Formats: sequence, structure tokens, C-alpha cells
Amino acid sequence: MRIAVVGSGLGGLLSAAILSERGYEVEVYEKLPFIGGRFTSFNYRGYEISTGALHMIPHGSRGHLARMLKEAGARVEIIDSKPEGTALYNGEEVEVRKRSFPLRSKLSFALFCLKNRFREVRLSELERRLDDFSARFLRAFLGWSLSITPEETTLTKIYPIYRSTLELGGPGVPAGGCRAVVEALAEVVESNDCKIRRGSKVRSVRKEDYGFSVHLEREAKAFDVVLSDIGHEETAKLCSYRAEKCEPSSGIKYSIAIKQPFIEHTGVLFTLNTRRISGMNQVTNADPNLGKGHFLMAHQPMLTSNVKFEISEGLKDIRELLRGYEYEILAVQSYSDGWPVNRAKAGGEESVKTPLKGLYVVGDGAKGQDIEVEGVALGVEKALQEVETLEF
Amino acid sequence: MVVTERCVGCATCMLVCPKDAIRVEGRAEINRELCEECRKCMLYCPLEAISYVTPELTQKS
Ligand SMILES: Cc1cc2nc3c(=O)[nH]c(=O)nc-3n(C[C@H](O)[C@H](O)[C@H](O)COP(=O)(O)OP(=O)(O)OC[C@H]3O[C@@H](n4cnc5c(N)ncnc54)[C@H](O)[C@@H]3O)c2cc1C
Ligand code: SF4
Ligand code: SF4
Repeated sequence: MRIAVVGSGLGGLLSAAILSERGYEVEVYEKLPFIGGRFTSFNYRGYEISTGALHMIPHGSRGHLARMLKEAGARVEIIDSKPEGTALYNGEEVEVRKRSFPLRSKLSFALFCLKNRFREVRLSELERRLDDFSARFLRAFLGWSLSITPEETTLTKIYPIYRSTLELGGPGVPAGGCRAVVEALAEVVESNDCKIRRGSKVRSVRKEDYGFSVHLEREAKAFDVVLSDIGHEETAKLCSYRAEKCEPSSGIKYSIAIKQPFIEHTGVLFTLNTRRISGMNQVTNADPNLGKGHFLMAHQPMLTSNVKFEISEGLKDIRELLRGYEYEILAVQSYSDGWPVNRAKAGGEESVKTPLKGLYVVGDGAKGQDIEVEGVALGVEKALQEVETLEF
Repeated sequence: MVVTERCVGCATCMLVCPKDAIRVEGRAEINRELCEECRKCMLYCPLEAISYVTPELTQKS
């Protein structure tokens, strides 16, 4: 069976690597000169500044992505965070554990889970019943991991994420950063004699009797199956059918070189008393090769559509948080529209299927029930199951 | 090199520019003094937001 993969983001490369291991003939098309999409980095002034990701794998070495990287035979070392996270609350850093949350808020949470069985509960409703610390933590957690606010999602969508974080645990940092992950996958693909074609934009995909024809600017090729890593909407445009609009989440990431360490651990520091910034990590604590000095990143969701204003609010937070430290902001990166934090805003699950049999969507436009690259891994798993059931 | 409305400010262009001619804060701005028109930023931009306008074209418009 011949399979085309459109896009070399994490979802595309993970699919391609596993399929090539299983003996399928795979060809990956990437429009840009580099692979990895929003999950890779460039060395900029001595720091591995990523095109998107905060260099973190949400459930570390015990998560879905780690399991599937193993299946693909991709060699990636993941350094699990310990502690998984801390929170900066009223000037003090506290470890985030179940114990950190007052009983009253745990009871409210249980009550809302019960209510949720009868009607959809917005997370902002729950937030109002929590104590100050828990409410602020909920906001910071959603801002950091999904780049959204409690107003924008429901308990049904977030509950599976809460469960899997309890079961699988918190984040880890891949040694070498996100680029090491996509490079390891590409190595698997290429070692199985399958091609990754950089600088090759797919212009259209057409349904044929035998399967699909994939068209580039000056050539076309025949395939049995197509996996698309560019979301449902863009995939629909390539194949001339209609897909529902899907609202992406936007956010801003700051990369900071800092002289003295600001965070002592390798996990996330959630910032609870800020205007915008939800959290920070210092990935050089996990892998010193990610920067020539301490490398701090901060992330915020966008609360208005005025990017300049959002950045000025974020920078005020950073100035206050880092008062007394010597630092330099290396990059301010904003993400929205066609290059968002998440293609589907509210968490939850998106189908991998399209109206065309043999055409499936992978990547963060077709995630399973988990966050970020863990959700991407689950979506890929489902798409591959679909491919396996096709008969040729 | 011209940055169009499609730019979201992801700064990929800034990371790859060999002349350090790009600053990004919400949107990319190219410093014409430093830019040597190698077009790397244009090729690497995920949103295809940078276009190359030849001097003749600029004069006409
Ligand atoms: C600021 C930020 C921070 C984040 N932090 C984290 C984090 O710490 N941990 C985490 O797990 N996740 C994080 N994420 C999310 C994570 O980066 C994404 O979920 C993941 O990278 C999405 O991968 P994807 O498979 O959807 O592909 P994408 O990265 O979207 O890649 C798609 C690829 O397809 C290519 N393409 C598009 N159109 C075509 C075409 N017509 N022909 C050929 N190629 C095409 C694109 O050039 C691109 O390379 C973050 C995201 C952002 C923006
Ligand atoms: S790479 Fe493109 S979208 Fe990103 S900042 Fe540069 S011009 Fe804007
Ligand atoms: S054309 Fe080359 S030198 Fe000019 S801004 Fe783009 S990458 Fe930099």
C-alpha cells in the first residue's frame, strides 16, 4: 500500500515513522524547507528557540507520545519533571499536589462533576465556586496547556485531561528539545527507504478510482491512502469538499536568556497573580544543551484580539516576575490563525475521518482525548487503526 | 522584501535570517539596511506572509 503524508508536523512524522516500520511505502510532503512544523527549533543566538512548543511532552516518559515513539523505534530520551509543577502564589512558590487544594474546592469539583452528568458545565461556573488559589490555578493551567480561559471550555472536554494527568503523570522534556523528537522520527522514516520531501507544497489531492492523486506544482503521483497533517479545514480545501470551521486557540510565547536561574526544577512554574502570563519553564534545567545559558520560557493566552496590547501586558508581567534578575528577551512569538497554539480550541476530541474513505486527518486538528502532543499521538493511533482496516 | 497582512508574528523568519535583519513583536518588521534579499525568510515563513518585490515593480506602483 502506498501512503502519502501531507505535512511533516509531529502528527505527520509520527504516522509516517510507524507506517514505514510496518512496511508500508510512505512519502511525506512538506511545503517548508524544514520538518517538524510547530514542534521543532532553531538555534538562535545560542538558544534552541522553538517554532511553537515549549519543549515539553505533557505526560513525559509515561505518556501516549512516549509509547508511540517507542513503537516507531525512534530514540528519544525524555527527562521527567520532578516536581511536576509548582505555583507562584502571593509571592510564594508552592508545590502543586492534590494536597495543595483545600477540601472545600475538592468537594465543589466533585459536585460539578455530578452536575455535569445532567447538563454541560462551563469551567467558569466551577471556577466561581473555588477558593482563590484553586481558581487561579485552574486559569493558569488552562492558559499554559491549552492557551484558553475557563470561559472557553466545558468540564466534559477537560475531564479526560484531568484523569490522564492523574494516571500518567506530569510533563517531561525531551533531551535535545522538540527538534530531537522530529529528527528521530525522520531518521526512522528515511532508514526504511521512505522519502521526506522538503519544500514540496501539495496543491491538491484528487479522489481517483484507484485511490488518490497528489498534486504538487509540477508533478502528480498516485497513492492508495492519504494522511493529512494540516487540519480538517485545510484538508477540505485541498480536496474540494466542505468542512466545518474550527476555531483555533492563540497565544504568545516569550524566550528569555537569564543570568541566574529563576526556576530550580525542570517542570512548570504556574504564575497565579499575573495579568496574562500563565506559567514558565526553564528547560536548560533538564537539558543544559538547549541554551548556552539558563533558558526561560513564558506563555500566555490571548485575551483580546489586539496582539500588541497583549504583548505589552505580558511584558509587564515578565518585568514584575523577574524584578532583580538580569535577563534578555530573545524572542516574542505570537500564534494564531494558520499557525495557532492549538487548531481546535476547547480540548475535546476531533474525528480523524473525512468524507473520503482512505483520507484521514492527523495532527492537532484531529486529536484524541488528551492535551497537545499527547492528543496528537492518540489521534495518530486512531488514524493508523483506520488504515489497517482498509483492504487492498 | 514585504511583510503582508497574513503575518501572525510567529518569528520563524527572525530565527532563520542570516543578517539578523528581522524584529518581531506581534508582526515581522524587516530592516532594509541590513537585509541582503536572500529570501530565506520568505521560504521559511509558515504563513507565506513575506513576498519579494523587485525594485522595478516597486517603482511602477
Ligand atoms: C506557543 C506554543 C507552545 C506549545 N507548547 C507545547 C508543549 O510544550 N508541548 C506540547 O505537547 N505541545 C505544545 N504545543 C502544541 C504543539 O506544538 C502542536 O500540537 C503540534 O506541534 C502540532 O503538530 P501537527 O502534527 O498538528 O503539525 P504542524 O506543526 O501544524 O505541522 C503541519 C506541517 O504541514 C505543513 N504543510 C501545511 N500545508 C501543507 C501543504 N499544502 N503541503 C505540504 N505541507 C504542508 C506545514 O508547513 C507544517 O510543517 C505548543 C504550540 C505552540 C504554538
Ligand atoms: S515567519 Fe511569517 S508569519 Fe512568522 S513572523 Fe515571520 S513573516 Fe510573520
Ligand atoms: S531576505 Fe534574507 S537577509 Fe533579508 S530579511 Fe529575509 S532572511 Fe533576512
